[in-house]
Amino acid sequence: MGKLLSSPKLLAIAIGVVAALLISVAGGALGASFGFGWFGGPIPFISLPAERVAYIGSYPLLNTTVMFWFGGLILIFLAWRATRKMSDVPSGLQNLFEVIYEFFGNTVDGVAGGKAKAGRRFLALVSTIFLVVVIINWVGILPGVGSVGRIETIEEWVHHHLPKVEAKVQEKHPEYTPVQTEAAALVHLLEDHGEDTFVAFDGSIVPLGRGEQARVPLNKIITFSESGLHQIEEAIHDGDDLDGLPLLDSIHSDIKKGVVQGEFVYKGQDFKGKTVGLLVPFLRGASTDINTTLAIALVAMFTVQVWGIRALGVRAYGGKFFVNPISQGPIATFVGILEGFGELTRTLSFTFRLFGNMFAGEVLLIAMAFLLPLIGIIPFMGLELFVGLIQGYIFAMLTLVFGVMAVASHGDHDTHAGDH
Amino acid sequence: MDAEATKYLGAAISIAVGAIGPGIGIGLLAGKAMEAIGRNPEATGPVQQNMILGLAFAEAIAIYALVIAIIILFV
Repeated sequence: MGKLLSSPKLLAIAIGVVAALLISVAGGALGASFGFGWFGGPIPFISLPAERVAYIGSYPLLNTTVMFWFGGLILIFLAWRATRKMSDVPSGLQNLFEVIYEFFGNTVDGVAGGKAKAGRRFLALVSTIFLVVVIINWVGILPGVGSVGRIETIEEWVHHHLPKVEAKVQEKHPEYTPVQTEAAALVHLLEDHGEDTFVAFDGSIVPLGRGEQARVPLNKIITFSESGLHQIEEAIHDGDDLDGLPLLDSIHSDIKKGVVQGEFVYKGQDFKGKTVGLLVPFLRGASTDINTTLAIALVAMFTVQVWGIRALGVRAYGGKFFVNPISQGPIATFVGILEGFGELTRTLSFTFRLFGNMFAGEVLLIAMAFLLPLIGIIPFMGLELFVGLIQGYIFAMLTLVFGVMAVASHGDHDTHAGDH
Repeated sequence: MDAEATKYLGAAISIAVGAIGPGIGIGLLAGKAMEAIGRNPEATGPVQQNMILGLAFAEAIAIYALVIAIIILFV
């Protein structure tokens, strides 16, 4: 403390940091409830499945796919730069790659039995998994990822949600015609999601207002009443001609317009007539999509089986899972079956570990950007960098441990127990 | 109690209860690892490495609960 007071430079830095923190707290959602909150944006829509950003023919291109390709390109570029001009005394990028290679070279040998080159066959996949997972985790928290996107209009939103409801209606009432099914699904959708909120935009992608209160519920965008919906339902039930219903027509036209119809005033600002929608990010961290993590887990576990079969042969490796109950006893058979299920649960736990960690990290960053914008979020960015690295390391190490367990024959069970 | 309230309660309970076990497990693991490092500081490297692996397994269970909570909330 004395050192801090005696040095004006340190003191200035300390005061600056505290002031920045105060500004960040007051500017966020916490400050918004006391009348401050200059930087608070609306909470983005948190979506578990990846968003579709474009279509190639009829094939939807997901934002997580784009990000995975981007991560792959970065990795290829780095590897090319590191090996382009190699020297005997490594420096820079070459040095970094050599450190990673050496670290994993020593680790695989250590885990595979301690002899030199004992773990050679595991090295390629294990270090690849590490590099890929770390890179896709890290590019996922670059600025702009998950926050820059386009507005999904109400029309598109209805278009995406309707088929699910339509399928449900069709199951319940197979006798409905397609027009009736669509109308019934629309009624259900409005009933279920009438309170769902959307962000109002100022024509561009700048959201209006601040904080959560600036979100407009669906029933202010599409005007309908309970009794009106009942009328439509009755008309569908009676098999009336649906073309003549004025409410259904107005609902359709409201969906097409996608602007705030009813009165919605927030902080003296009338939102009537403003465009409404959801932000669909162009980019999103690849490991926040469960399909990515499942794909990596399947590659890892499939290769583990290949290693086992190549080391022991089909008979001996299969003998780990299928044990003869007469010669070995029923308990050994049961243990063998459990071992087989273990391979499946390992795949699942690989998938959920990475996905859960990275998705939770994304939600944490979103929540923190909402609560403590500008400065307050920086420590959490650092935390996410660390989590990304650790998850890559864990994914690689577990693949290695499972691989070593698979190639070990029945007699020499290792001490590397690593089951859950 | 309406359906929405049960949803939020379910999500909160699933992560709250699901985090108890892993919390205890991670505490035990890290505690034992610290003890081992204290007794044998030369073994810090391997102890740390194995501890992180063990932590990943314990933490995975909390993550399962988290995934369930997220699915309840957002799907």
